[in-house]
Amino acid sequence: MDFSETPEHAELKSAVASIVAPFGRDYYVQHAKDREPCDEVWSALGDAGFIGVNIPEEYGGGGGGMLELALVCEEGAAQGVPLLLMLVSAAISAEVITEYGTDDQKSRWLPGLADGTSKVVFAITEPDAGSNSHRISTTATRDGDEWVLSGSKYYISGVDEADALLVVARTGQRDEGTGGQGRAKLSLFIVPIDAPGMEKTPIDMDVMLPEKQYTLFFDGVRLGADALVGEVDKGFQQVFHGLNPERITGAALCIGIARHALNQAAQYANEREVWGVPIGAHQGVAHPLAIASMETELAALMMRKAAWLHDNGLPAGEASNTAKYAAAEAALSAIDAAVQTHGGNGLTREYGLIPYWGLARLLRIAPVSREMIINYIAQHNLGLPRSY
Amino acid sequence: MKLIVLVKEVPDTYGDRKLNLETGLADRGASEAVLDEISERALEAALTYADANPGTEVVALAAAPAGSVSTVRKALGMGADRAIHVADEALAGADIVLTAQVLAAAIKRDGFDLVISGNVSTDGSGGMVPAAIAEYLEVPQLTGLSEIEITDSKVSGTRPIDGGAQRVSAQLPAVVSITEAFPDPRFPSFKGIMAAKKKPFETVSLADLGVRADDPEVARSIMLSIAEKPPREAGIKIVDDGEAGKDLADFLLKNRLA
Repeated sequence: MDFSETPEHAELKSAVASIVAPFGRDYYVQHAKDREPCDEVWSALGDAGFIGVNIPEEYGGGGGGMLELALVCEEGAAQGVPLLLMLVSAAISAEVITEYGTDDQKSRWLPGLADGTSKVVFAITEPDAGSNSHRISTTATRDGDEWVLSGSKYYISGVDEADALLVVARTGQRDEGTGGQGRAKLSLFIVPIDAPGMEKTPIDMDVMLPEKQYTLFFDGVRLGADALVGEVDKGFQQVFHGLNPERITGAALCIGIARHALNQAAQYANEREVWGVPIGAHQGVAHPLAIASMETELAALMMRKAAWLHDNGLPAGEASNTAKYAAAEAALSAIDAAVQTHGGNGLTREYGLIPYWGLARLLRIAPVSREMIINYIAQHNLGLPRSY
Repeated sequence: MKLIVLVKEVPDTYGDRKLNLETGLADRGASEAVLDEISERALEAALTYADANPGTEVVALAAAPAGSVSTVRKALGMGADRAIHVADEALAGADIVLTAQVLAAAIKRDGFDLVISGNVSTDGSGGMVPAAIAEYLEVPQLTGLSEIEITDSKVSGTRPIDGGAQRVSAQLPAVVSITEAFPDPRFPSFKGIMAAKKKPFETVSLADLGVRADDPEVARSIMLSIAEKPPREAGIKIVDDGEAGKDLADFLLKNRLA
């Protein structure tokens, strides 16, 4: 077993850090407050080939894997700029299109995803189908050579920044005759952002994020035969190829956020003096930070294992879920400890911790909730009865 | 065209730099080691030329401790075609003359059309190495350039001086040093980092170059004593009770800052 970091990974992290650091906390916090996309960081990373590290070289990518993409996510977040859309555009969409797309679809979409000039976001969640994708009701119906898409999606991030959506839609069901409530047969479609009949409405969120969330309505959106990704009715299996990468990069983002918050808190605790010694000398301040630091290291180890499993074509579901669970918990305890260390300053704009809390809190819920992960582990690792 | 770029590992420019008071050497453990920013600008100048002129070879050359491999590799990640790393324990604490002698020997051994260097490193701040190398190589030197133009047979540039700017040029082969006025360096790209793995990386010793660090025929600097830099003294706070302008002016006059 070899845990040493390769020189390439060290250089990748150092290069990402030097690109993102000049933007840093102030940039992110301002963009989160204004709810404006972090375009400058996305482009700078895209220009240097870091957004598309996992895309094949023949389509302009870096030819690397999920581990490299996760390190980009982690390091960018550690420098203060967590890019949420990496989870959907670079992880899910790029992975799914690379694996299942036709040559035309790959040539059309991958080069832009690789150099960061284009984003494809992912639409699976629905008002009545959150974690239960079997209940997806957005339907794609064949009409000659074309498809007609109808239904709605919920909590879709980054629609305003995207050139297209990767939409999961019902194309049939397994138990016919149950009033449309049977387990869905799903298929994947690429829907251009300007497709007639699609409407997007921003959701009024209270968390401060640069990325906006939307409700989408598809009212008979007509799609060409070339919109279908992979095989019809095989969407469920195909989506799974993208979900582990989403969990791995989600974990990476949380680990980076935790590192960022802990660095800031450690610096503050070393400088701030109340009774003649830095407040970090008090165990009441030091211990929560040290505990969060250990939790972060543990999550980072599991995230790397999950990425390695995925890159080596091994089953990565359990490790990806565990990493995502642990990383979100670590990020939340890191930020909570950091806020407490800062006292009242922890809640100010100047010290900018709260936007990271919002993102970490979101990542305890998405892309898969903590409770669904625990259900999965109870059932699959411990052999306990399925609870839902 | 073969360009050799001198790259130096230095303690992080923005960190606290420390001397080891027993050895008199820079304490390399005290801060993170980085590729000197001025070296990166020199490399950027070479890479910009190489981008526009296919067939150009860019070689990164460093004299640095054996543990500096990752810093030197950064030059490969940025786009240099290969690297030469002179690593030898006898180089610890090398003065300007020995450093120049060693680098000149490595350059001569490899062959070159143009050597590009930063004008002065951020740690040693000597600023003499490029000129000394040119002397050893017996080629023209254009130092402290704020811009550069390279043709097949000539290098020319602008050299800011007190109250003006000189236009200077030299036939190749030559040595030039560049200032911070040069464009910001590029970041290593992901493809660059992955490609660097396969690029030639040669490590050479003083014996390979035929240079003796303790050659009694050559004058060397000898360090006689060393002291830690004095701690920063607290500043003076001037509170404005209507007289602050006068107090500020007095302060400036007293410290000969006006």
